Amino acid sequence: MSDVHVDELLVDHARGELAEPERSRVAAHLAICAECRATRERYTALMAELQRTAPTPPSVHWGAYRAELRDRLERRGAAGPVWGWLLRPAPAFVAAALVTALVVAGWPGIVRGPGAPDPLALDNTILASQLDMIARLDVVQRLDLLEDFNVINELDELPEASKS
Amino acid sequence: MESSDEELCRAVAERKPGAFDLLAERYQERAYRIAWSIVRDREEAKDCSQDAFIRLHEAAGSFAGQSKFSTWFYRILVNCCLDRQRRRRGWRRLVGWRDRGDDPDGPDPVEQAAAPFSDPADALDTEQRMSRVWALVNELSPQQRAAVTLSVREGLATRDIAAVLSVSEATVRVHLHRALSTLRRRLGDEA
Repeated sequence: MSDVHVDELLVDHARGELAEPERSRVAAHLAICAECRATRERYTALMAELQRTAPTPPSVHWGAYRAELRDRLERRGAAGPVWGWLLRPAPAFVAAALVTALVVAGWPGIVRGPGAPDPLALDNTILASQLDMIARLDVVQRLDLLEDFNVINELDELPEASKS
Repeated sequence: MESSDEELCRAVAERKPGAFDLLAERYQERAYRIAWSIVRDREEAKDCSQDAFIRLHEAAGSFAGQSKFSTWFYRILVNCCLDRQRRRRGWRRLVGWRDRGDDPDGPDPVEQAAAPFSDPADALDTEQRMSRVWALVNELSPQQRAAVTLSVREGLATRDIAAVLSVSEATVRVHLHRALSTLRRRLGDEA
């Protein structure tokens, strides 16, 4: 087995983290494999460079940081676990309700339902109620609609003479 | 005698006054530094590390004491950071961000993306502080970057990194090996 490359164990071996029997296996392989020895050296050098050159994060004012943290905690505490649970999904509920309302309003089949009147039949009924007025269009055209509303209501009772 | 981290965590669970502040003060710099190493943005690093402290406050009672407190807390912290990275990745995909394409070894577009807006002076300082090799670390996947950061900067052993990242030790070894191999290759290409 010592002729199998051990690339993935080299970092742990270099840091002395390997336990037996893996440690002995890696050591036996390194004794006969120049390629893995070179890789181990490269990894060791690279880790040292990473440690030496580790970047410093931008500075933070720790007093302000803790005050902000305390504020966030208190706001969470003030909301309480139950309200917190209820408030968090609120935007989702509102959005879902709006979408549902829009879909329902824009989908005639959903609004109508199986027992609701057909809108086409309703249109026909309205048209039928106005047929009388259409038949007496000559009279209607001569009327001031607002002032002579009673006449319109009694069109069917008008004498034939006034129909012409 | 100074309380241990584990004792303080239990005191936080019992809502003893001052315990949380003491623990936060003890870990704030490490938490912010680790978060910054992963998310690479000052404000996001502050948010992530504070999120981790808030989760610690809420979940202190669930700390069983079977691992070190630091391992347990780093796990919360790294999850906060990686969740945020995933959300950013999700949003960018949603708005049509170019995916990695056919090149599995190519850098992740999220990693190559410019960080969210921050003070230009901060960015300049960061550039000056950051060596070329760490700039290349920033191009690794978030998991590889987390493994390198926890290993090299924080000095965590492989088994602790595995516990923090919720993966096996073998997976951590693969992450570290691939990360170092990629860094060596890219440094070699630049030379």
